[in-house]
Amino acid sequence: MSTLSVTNAIASLMVAAGIAQAQWLDYPTPGIPRTADGKPNLSAPTPRTKDGKPDLSGIWAATTEVIDRGPLGPTATPRYWLDLGPGVRGGLPYQPWAGDLRKARFAANSKDHPMTQCLPLSIVLMHSHPLSRKVIQIPGLVGILSEYNMMFRQIFTDGRPLPVDPQPSFYGYSVGKWDGDALVVETIGFKDGLWLDGRGSPSTDAAKVTERFRRVNFGTLEIEITVQDPKAYTMPWSVKVTQSLMPDTDLLEFVCLENEKDRSHMVGK
Amino acid sequence: MMNRLLFTLVTLAAPLAAQWIHYPTAGLPRLANGKPNLSAPTPRTKDGKPDLSGFWEANREGGTGVSFTGAQLPPLFKNIGAQLKDGLPYSPWGRDLLNSRLADNSKDSPDAKCLPLGILWLHSHLSPRKVLQSPGLVVILYERFTQFRQIFTDGRPLPVDPEPSFFGYSSGKWDGDTLVVQTIGFRDDQWADSDGSPLTGSGKVTERIRRPNYGSLEIEITVDDPKAYTAPWTVKLSQHLQVDTDLLEFVCVDEEKNRPHVVGK
Repeated sequence: MSTLSVTNAIASLMVAAGIAQAQWLDYPTPGIPRTADGKPNLSAPTPRTKDGKPDLSGIWAATTEVIDRGPLGPTATPRYWLDLGPGVRGGLPYQPWAGDLRKARFAANSKDHPMTQCLPLSIVLMHSHPLSRKVIQIPGLVGILSEYNMMFRQIFTDGRPLPVDPQPSFYGYSVGKWDGDALVVETIGFKDGLWLDGRGSPSTDAAKVTERFRRVNFGTLEIEITVQDPKAYTMPWSVKVTQSLMPDTDLLEFVCLENEKDRSHMVGK
Repeated sequence: MMNRLLFTLVTLAAPLAAQWIHYPTAGLPRLANGKPNLSAPTPRTKDGKPDLSGFWEANREGGTGVSFTGAQLPPLFKNIGAQLKDGLPYSPWGRDLLNSRLADNSKDSPDAKCLPLGILWLHSHLSPRKVLQSPGLVVILYERFTQFRQIFTDGRPLPVDPEPSFFGYSSGKWDGDTLVVQTIGFRDDQWADSDGSPLTGSGKVTERIRRPNYGSLEIEITVDDPKAYTAPWTVKLSQHLQVDTDLLEFVCVDEEKNRPHVVGK
């Protein structure tokens, strides 16, 4: 473990979990368009709900890229799971203290990554989590059910305003409305000190996160994330993550704390 | 001891919800004076089936136990078999396990370890839950640990050899106005109530869920678990709609300081 960073270790676990899932939950997803040979047609048009809006419902996997992960070797890793920097033009505009904090977190092998404590991750980090998530879109509400810790997030789409003084939380308070074919979600009310990527880019209780969800075709979800957090960053910044539909499977139960033996072995430098 | 600790935490969480999330519940029938009409007819989805969606709190009437702060506990919270004249028909193995859990001050309760509580105990938990009903799927969002349970209603069969899990694998279908949910695939070490009545991997749970009017949910639970019980048994519980509020984020692990202080006998 001493030569492996925590995020590498986490990635190994995640890769193993992904394989297990494919092995045994294989009930056909209802309503998926299929090609003549029965395979899912993931480039079919965006599905829509009865009110004509895009239907974001589905099970989604973060798009991966192969990264050389040192001791792990070349490893399929969700883009931005480890580092948001390459996705942001000019890099992340850290305030000095925030840049220092990120350096300190990374230098300590990311040993205090919320996943090492089985805590919820920030909504930004969740979008690139290697475990899958299921989106449920019903009138007035979009729910995101995450395989990680079987936790859910609610996005209210019933027209309510953001609360004035929300209780600080990991996921914040989210309201969304449609702008054409994009669901625009605004979230405030975060706890201080969250991690936005695996190297520890922070956010604070001043953060406002705006997500633009677009389902560009049947099999692809694009999420443009804008973070406005003047305490931690000198200006707002944006990054775009993509996810692809996972057909004919479902979420597994993933309980981080169950038989958890890793935390005590995680050390910084 | 541990139970007392847990009850305190739970009781504290409940009033907080009422204090600050108070957006009006959409679609709620109201009386002339603006108050919710909870005896209005059962709402229905477009296909005519009862809509179980809503924000539900376990009824406490008839409960005998109280929490550390004196709040009355829902009837099945402590002992899921309390309403059975002769109690639960434990097998010798099941009774030994229950007794050892009780003797150990419930220190290894999933509640003490921040692990999922299981579908039976969660029905009578003081923390509220929100039901979402969409075509092919019913989801229960539990405030307890901010975790969800899926009930597939798309006609799929139960799997032959499901991976053992806390919540199991649930498939439901309508029998008239009742959603009948069957669940298998449980872990061997579950707690069906806070005393520690067991539920094992040989267990099959059937839930018959009805919404008899706008404000009430009734759930009849049948447990067939030959490893822990000598015969199947059936109990009932009810929940009521909470209006104009919503779930809070409840993260057991965050700032968790109790576990090292929890000791057995």
